[in-house]
Parts: sequence; structure tokens; C-alpha cells
Amino acid sequence: MQNKRTIFIIAGLLLLAGLAIISLQFGAYKFQGNLWDVLVEVVIGKPASNPTDSYVFFSIRLPRIVMSILVGSALAVSGTALQGMFKNPLATPNLIGVTAGASLFAAITIVLGSYLKSFIPDALHFFLLSIMAFLGAIITMIFVYRISTTKRKTNVVIMLLAGVAITALSGAITGFLTYLTDEEELRDLIFWTLGSLGGSSWLKVGILAVVILLAYSLLLNKGKALNAMMLGEQDATHLGVPVEKIKKQIIVLTALLVGTCVAFTGTIGFVGLIIPYILRLIFSSNYYIILPLSAIGGGVLLLIADTLSRVIVAPTEMPIGVLTAFLGTPIFIAILIRHKKLL
Amino acid sequence: MLLTTTLVFGACQQNEETNEQVNEEITIEVEKNQEKIVSLNGAISEIICELGRGDEIVGVDVASTFPEWLTDSATVLGHANTLTVEGILNLQPTVVMTTVGSLKPEIESAIKNAGIELIAFNQEFSVEGTKSLVLEVAEFLNEGYKAQEINQNIDGVVSEIAAFDNPPSVLFIYARGAGTLMVAGKDTPMDQIVQLAKGENSITDFSDFKPLTEEALLGANPDVILMFDKGLQSLNGFEGLVNAVPAIAETNAGKNNGVIAMDGAFLTSFGPRLGNAAKELNALLTPYAK
Repeated sequence: MQNKRTIFIIAGLLLLAGLAIISLQFGAYKFQGNLWDVLVEVVIGKPASNPTDSYVFFSIRLPRIVMSILVGSALAVSGTALQGMFKNPLATPNLIGVTAGASLFAAITIVLGSYLKSFIPDALHFFLLSIMAFLGAIITMIFVYRISTTKRKTNVVIMLLAGVAITALSGAITGFLTYLTDEEELRDLIFWTLGSLGGSSWLKVGILAVVILLAYSLLLNKGKALNAMMLGEQDATHLGVPVEKIKKQIIVLTALLVGTCVAFTGTIGFVGLIIPYILRLIFSSNYYIILPLSAIGGGVLLLIADTLSRVIVAPTEMPIGVLTAFLGTPIFIAILIRHKKLL
Repeated sequence: MLLTTTLVFGACQQNEETNEQVNEEITIEVEKNQEKIVSLNGAISEIICELGRGDEIVGVDVASTFPEWLTDSATVLGHANTLTVEGILNLQPTVVMTTVGSLKPEIESAIKNAGIELIAFNQEFSVEGTKSLVLEVAEFLNEGYKAQEINQNIDGVVSEIAAFDNPPSVLFIYARGAGTLMVAGKDTPMDQIVQLAKGENSITDFSDFKPLTEEALLGANPDVILMFDKGLQSLNGFEGLVNAVPAIAETNAGKNNGVIAMDGAFLTSFGPRLGNAAKELNALLTPYAK
């Protein structure tokens, strides 16, 4: 089992690296020189022979590709961890309203904090935005968990309907805010509902990388515990699994992951649904394997989706939420049909 | 070598006096002036073309629809909100021209960081604002002397517009299908062009664009409704508009079948054709002034 897992992880990482290299060559900008010359020049510290090539490569395309991998990975791991905790394949950040809660708080921060923006440095602004989105995510998560779970059993219908309610409320408040704001802020608000990886920068990549590193170091080794919890939380406690502590960690860490992703890229739906679903088809519900693999699978999925979004309508780009929804909704419906009796 | 020849040829077309004396000096000068322009504003694109430099435009936004050949010779990069930095940089421009506040800040800074000159002109929707935009664009392209001619033309046409004894009350409705109907209040380009055409905006109690409500419509009671031709098409004509908003039938405009449809870029770009647009609107308003 251990060996099998290692092989899959290494194969996944290789696939991801290969796709990233391929994806670097696609985009609206056509490199004047050779892509590898640009790389070599920087490695040996020579001044760039074509500054625009070098700028597009290092300041636009590379951070964007890294961002798409990180965001995809974080969203997929959040989905998998939440599904383990709620013991249901429909528990994803989007469907239970956590994404909506995060984007609502981010939107409020943008509107109310817009006058602050000119006084505080960029780094602090992004930091504040992610903290607020995190708060929105964790409040929603606790709310949904409290009202949908009684005696350690989750009522799936209530969980999903709570998500519907929060998404509607968030939409209403965001809609209300658009009437209070001027055009420039409005443009930012629209971004939350569609999701975009445009405007990725090394600063955002850096903040997200720190968050991911922290969250993964605590989350990715919870696979065996989640497997035990599948048997029932009582049994897991008897097996020595600290169930309550793990649940609290999952709530806080997934809220942190989802909040940071939403703060930087808006609402990118369905990643947390698609990846665990596919992995479960292959490995069944073995969280020991699917939790780390979802970290890689999410990166692969969003990298492919983002590359498509940059290429199919160049020189502009398709909102990435459109593509993930195309991939995600059939899977959503498939889950509904398979689990008809359980709902 | 081929490049130099083309440039010299271009110079001959621009300055007829220098036809005979093609020398080294002119070649260098023209090479220096030759830009590769990305213009992200309809009025700016029109001004550049009016200055005779339209062949240097390599990319435009969707609002740059005039002159018509421009969309064939230049790459259309999309709407100001959906532009991508890569799309702009791919055209290898020497300068990107836009208006203040129309680009997302991160796109603005990315263009500058790529080492490309970015100029954001101030665009004010008035005759004076248009004239100073013409002047600024012309001065940037070292064509200052041509600006005067364009501006005199605008002034000339504007001064020809006759005032009405009873100015008609005009309501501008922006439509993209029956679901999206907005009316123009004060401080909008439409408000300005209606005033230039000697009409009166029916809306006096709010600024910017607001969703159309039937009660506000009846309160404003316009004599005529002004729309973009594409907007009226999206509703299938005046009948479609009345179907979508039945209250229109109760207003003066509904009673006289009063609707005017004009090309959006022509009516509100506030570029070199400003005077002509105002004059045409004035002529179209005449039947409704009693």
C-alpha cells in the first residue's frame, strides 16, 4: 500500500511538471525568441536579449501557472477533507456555501476598505483580504456544520440547503453592494462571481504557498484517521483517533485554504467535487491515498482548465469558472443519481 | 533596407513638399516617429486616424469601430474589462493609449513594467474635453498643427446647430435585450450630446445610469426616446420596446411614435465626429420640437 501510494504520487508529480512545461508555451503572447534562451539568460545572469519575452515569461505566465496549480490543489484538498469530515461526496466548499461566505467577506472588505487601499502597502492589502475571506469561510463552515449535524450524524439535505441559503444571501448582499460602489470597485466584485487567475503575481503566489505549506503539513497525513472515521466516529474514538481535534483542524485549515484562494482568484467552482470523485472511482474511499493525490490532481485539473481559458478565445480569456462548471456539473449530477437513495 | 524604403515612401505620402528630396535625414526622422500603437478607446482611435496615423495602430478595443477599415488592419483585443496583458504585449507595441481609469490597475502596471509606454488621457465628455483630447493626442504624435484643423471643424459644426423654441425632452435608454434597460441621468455622455443637440434630458434628478422603472418613466414623460441602433435591434424595434415597457405608450414619445436610433460609437465617442453627431441628432429631434 505504502509503495503503491508513493508510485502514484511520483507519477502524478511528473505529469504535473510535464503539463506545466507544455502550458508555459501557450498564451496570447507569442515569444519572439526561444523560450529556453530566456531561461538560460536568467540562469547565467545575462541581461535579457528580449526584455518583453523575459517579462511575459517571468512576471505574467510563470506566476499564473504556479498560481493555477496551487489554487487547484488547495481547492481539491479542501473538498476531499470536507467530504471525509461530513462523510459525503457532496460536501465541497462551493456546495455548502463556504466559497460564498468567503467571497462575501472579501467583497465587503473591498467596498469598505477601498479608501484604505491607498494608505496600506499591497502586501498588507492582500493579507487583509485573505484574512477577511478566511473569516467568512470559517463562520460559514461552523454555521453549516452546527445546523446540519446532530448527534455526530450529518443531515445531507440540511447541509446542502444551508449552502443554498448562504450562497443566496451572499449573492444578495453582493448585489446590494454593487449599487453602493463606483464602477472600479464594481469591476472587482464581478470578478468574485466569475473567478479568474489573471493578475497572478509572485506576491500572491508567495502568500498562498505559505498557507498551503502550513495546511498540508497538518492535513495530508490525516488519511488514515479519516478512513477510521468512515466506520463511525464512536468506533474511531475507540481506535484512538482524536476525532474532535481532527474535525476542528479540518474546519480551520480548509477555511484557510478556501479563503485565501477566493481572496486571490474569486469563485472557481467544482474543483473540490471533480477531483475527489475521479480519485474515488479509481481508489474507492481510501483517504490515505486520495488525500495526497487530490493535492496533485487539483493542480493538474486547474492547470489544464486555465491553459484552455487562456487559449480558446485569445487575445482575451474565458472566465475559468465557465470551464470548471462544464466539467463539474455532469459529475455533480452523476453523484446525485448514484446517491439518490441516501439523500 | 526594405524597411527603410517603405518608411521613406510613407514619408512622401505624408509630406507632399518633400517628394523630390528624399534624403538620409528624413528617413531617420520618420523612423523615430513611427509608432506601433495600441489604442484602447474609440475616440482616441478616431483621432489617430484623423491625424493620418491610423496605419500605425496595431491593436484596438471593441469600442474602436470607426473608421471601419481599422478593425481589419488592427487586432481587436476585446472589451476594456476583458483585456489581457499578454494579448497587448504580443503586438509588440511602442505605446498603449487609453483614458484615465478605464484599465484595471494591475494591467496598467504590467504594461509599464514590461517597458512599454502607457498614456492615459483625460476624457471629459464635452466639446472642450473633446478638443483638448484631440490636442493632447496630436501633440503626443507630433502632429499638433493638425489638431487645430480638427478642432475648428468641431467648433464650426457645433455652432451651426440651431436651438429650438421648445426643446424636446429626450430620454436615452440603453438596452441589451428586454432584461437590461438603463436610462441615462445627468453627468453621462448621453446627457451631454442631447444638450449639444439642443434637446433636454428628461431625467434631471439623478446622475449616471439607473435601471428603467415605469414610474420614473411616466414622471419624466419624454417627447422622444433615444437609443443606440443595436439596442433598439435587440428589442426588435419600437414595438418590442413598448412590449417590454408598456408605460412608454402612455408618454408623449409613445403617442408620437417618437424613437431615434443612432450608431453608438458615432453618438457617444466624443471624438472628431462630435459636431456631426450632435448636428445629426439635432436634425432628428426637429420633428419633436413644437
